[in-house]
Amino acid sequence: MSKQAPGVRIDGLTVTYNNLPAVRNVSLELPPGTITGIVGESGSGKSTLALSLLNAVQPPGRIAAGSVEIDEIGNVVEFAAEQIRRVRGSQIGYVFQAAQNSLNPLKTVGKQLLDLGRSHGVEDLRGLVRDAKDLLGRMGLDGARVLDSHQHELSGGMRQRVGIMLALVLNAHLVVLDEPTTALDMITQSTILKIIREVHEERGLTTLVITHDIGVVAEVADRLAVMYGGRLVEQGPTREVLASPQHPYTRGLIRAIPRLTGDIDEAQALPGRPPTLATVPAEGCVFRERCPLRMDVCDTVDPAAEAYGTRIVACHAVKVKEHA
Amino acid sequence: MTVVLKKLAGHLARGLVMILVVATISFFIVRNIPGDPMKAALEMKVAAGADPVAAAQEVKVIYGFQPTGSMWSQYVDYLAGLATFDLGTSTLHAGQPVTEVLTESAKWTVLPVLLGILMSFLVGVILGVYAALRRSSKLGDILAISGSLLHGVPQYVLGLLLAAIFATSLGWFPSEGGVADILIEPGFTPEYIGTLIRHAALPVLTYALASYGGWVLAMKSSVVTVLGDDFILASELRGMKRSIIFRYVARNAILPLFTILALSLGLLFAGAVFIERIFNYPGLGLKLIDSVTNRDYALMSGAFLLITVAIVVANILADLLYTVIDPRVRQ
Amino acid sequence: MSELILETSTASMRRNFWRGVWRVMKRKPSRMAGVVILLGFTVMAVIGPLFYPENLPYDPNAKYAPISWEHWFGTDGQGKDVWAQLVIGSRYVLLSALVTGVITVVVGAGLGLFSGFKRGRWDTVLMRLTDMKLTIPGLPLLLVLSTVWSFGSAIEMGLVLGLLGWGGVARAVRSQTLSLRERGFIEAARGLGLSTTHIVGKELLPTMAPYIAMNMLVAVTGAVYAQVGLFFLGVLPYEADNWGVMLNLAVFGGGAMTTTAALPYLLAPLLAILLLTLGIVLVVDAMDEIFNPRLREE
Repeated sequence: MSKQAPGVRIDGLTVTYNNLPAVRNVSLELPPGTITGIVGESGSGKSTLALSLLNAVQPPGRIAAGSVEIDEIGNVVEFAAEQIRRVRGSQIGYVFQAAQNSLNPLKTVGKQLLDLGRSHGVEDLRGLVRDAKDLLGRMGLDGARVLDSHQHELSGGMRQRVGIMLALVLNAHLVVLDEPTTALDMITQSTILKIIREVHEERGLTTLVITHDIGVVAEVADRLAVMYGGRLVEQGPTREVLASPQHPYTRGLIRAIPRLTGDIDEAQALPGRPPTLATVPAEGCVFRERCPLRMDVCDTVDPAAEAYGTRIVACHAVKVKEHA
Repeated sequence: MTVVLKKLAGHLARGLVMILVVATISFFIVRNIPGDPMKAALEMKVAAGADPVAAAQEVKVIYGFQPTGSMWSQYVDYLAGLATFDLGTSTLHAGQPVTEVLTESAKWTVLPVLLGILMSFLVGVILGVYAALRRSSKLGDILAISGSLLHGVPQYVLGLLLAAIFATSLGWFPSEGGVADILIEPGFTPEYIGTLIRHAALPVLTYALASYGGWVLAMKSSVVTVLGDDFILASELRGMKRSIIFRYVARNAILPLFTILALSLGLLFAGAVFIERIFNYPGLGLKLIDSVTNRDYALMSGAFLLITVAIVVANILADLLYTVIDPRVRQ
Repeated sequence: MSELILETSTASMRRNFWRGVWRVMKRKPSRMAGVVILLGFTVMAVIGPLFYPENLPYDPNAKYAPISWEHWFGTDGQGKDVWAQLVIGSRYVLLSALVTGVITVVVGAGLGLFSGFKRGRWDTVLMRLTDMKLTIPGLPLLLVLSTVWSFGSAIEMGLVLGLLGWGGVARAVRSQTLSLRERGFIEAARGLGLSTTHIVGKELLPTMAPYIAMNMLVAVTGAVYAQVGLFFLGVLPYEADNWGVMLNLAVFGGGAMTTTAALPYLLAPLLAILLLTLGIVLVVDAMDEIFNPRLREE
């Protein structure tokens, strides 16, 4: 079992559903011990990318190309079913969206915890329960009571903490959180984000947060990656990307955020709609339909992701500007 | 636990209303039968020289209420009888109390129905899971289609086909009555048990086949629904063992079926009419038909009432069962 | 203006719907077979009996004659042609099924709409009533009723079965009305200034037609089984021309359970019922897919 935060290198990953690419040629590195946020609208392929980390893309989807290399685990894309099962949960934790029912409604949390332990050959089940209680207590819950509860007896925020507990209790050091705060009220949101940050520090994790809410990323992530139409269009340190977004989509996203103070009219919605699996263009840039900087080359050539300092951007216009 | 009790009380109240309604229906039917059988019986007895008061009393014993008097007083009379389990006397069975006739025939219905349904439940649920997991395969398709066909075909068609094949053509099983010979002494003798089983085989098989399709279809759709639930994917992502995930799916999917199971037990009592008629099996259904064809009104309304009670009880059981096994309802 | 928009949208929805029906039908030939079977039975019931005399000729020398070119399904105990009886019997069976269908739809949809529209106390009372009706065992009730009713005509039979069978449709329509209401459908239409009649007639009913049709089909199938079954049980007079009478005479009169001679007489009506069931199952399967987009295969 790894005792340190692992690094993850996703390289040239392509995931297709019935030959339609949901994730196309994505390369992304998660440095050990960092929190990376992936932002995108629904249908951008961010959840598919997250599932790829566990080699758990649901059929008819499949990983068509590329690799996901995780330190001390290996390239999970090549893992066989039983091999990847052992890794899931024990070395990579996955936390579902709070609104989704990620627990068996008929069993108490405690019994499901034991099922989890048995699935991974944990011999000291008493110790497992103790760890779970500690974790829950750490997140401000009454461990014993939660373990004795059914899903429907828990609030959204409590469920989310139970989800985090189940992802970490086997001592996984790589954690994927899928929309961790969606459908929670504001106060619970900030509590959960605080927990994510603190637990990340204390346990020495490498964390990936998937969200459509750029505010969430701004609050927790060290690094930020923006997805659109199955492509990673921009990535870099969170502060830098937020302060000076390069890709026109990132700019649009940031401009669309209404601020608590200030004029609501300042927030500008991005015109047009994100593409779906069926409407995403087969060639050329995926964003060109909505792009203010569109050029002729965008219609035919998919821009390659290129590094500009700490930033990686996939945009013809940015490239032209940088080289000018 | 108080939730269960509260529910039980509500159910019992509603069940009593149901029974009252059905009792009222059969009361009015019996009372308004053309030719007024009670009055006819009374007049016959009086004409034969009986004392009118004594004759009226005798008729009351048969029908459960006085042959003369206002409708209201007759109705009250009848209900009072019901409350004390006095359903009148069967004319078909030479003055035997209806309750006695019914309890005797009820066991011939209950056991085969239970056996048939439980058999088909087991097989149907297992095959339903298979049909759901392999729903794009040939065998899965065949299971689903055979399920809907068997589900669609009426019980008596199945019964008649089974009788035609296994009794008439092949002669493997008898299709007449509950035992071969009334002279065989009831008891735990191999002879009695043997004839019992041979005679019950086709009725039980019919009950089983008639309900099997429903289980396959219900379980299939239930499993498909549960497989799409988030917690199954979540368990997979937590690296749960396949066997454990399978148990999660099975338990969640079978839950709604328990309700249907309890309900269908009640409904099969109603359906027993056909199967018992086909195999001349001496259960409640056959008693109902016999009483209708022989105009044994007390027995008729008694059997009708008992079948309704069975359904009401099954409904109550179904709901209580759900309350007990589903933690979400307990709240 | 607003009315126009709603109107044209439902019109195009309907056109798309029929195109969808055609697509679903075409994909599996078995579904076409289902429609053909049902059409065949309709033709048989409507014009079939015209080919036979009022009283079928009987031949005392040919009792329980085996299957031959002359007698497609053999003859019965009086030497009457079984096929002819089957054709003549189909009229009673299908006519009463039609009456049942009409009644279940009219009563069921009416009460269901009313209940879902009014909600509140009316709804509670009506639904309790429906529940109760669904609980009373139908077949035993019919048996008991047969002591005061003779069900001589198909229409009478259809009427009684219809009045016993509207519960399912009422429930389905009610829950549909409620769910449409929940989705703001009715309020939106009200907001556009549409009258209640318009909302019900032009908007609600067309949207719910599939559910009504499905439940009607279930009710009609049940009614066919019930009436044939009642005649089979022998509690009704034998004069009626019904498949059930044939079954009864074959089993309890012809001894089809003890000798094989009367088997064709028994099997003919059974096959007819099986075929009718098959047709209905296939059509329901098609309807399932047309109306339930979740089941639609890609």
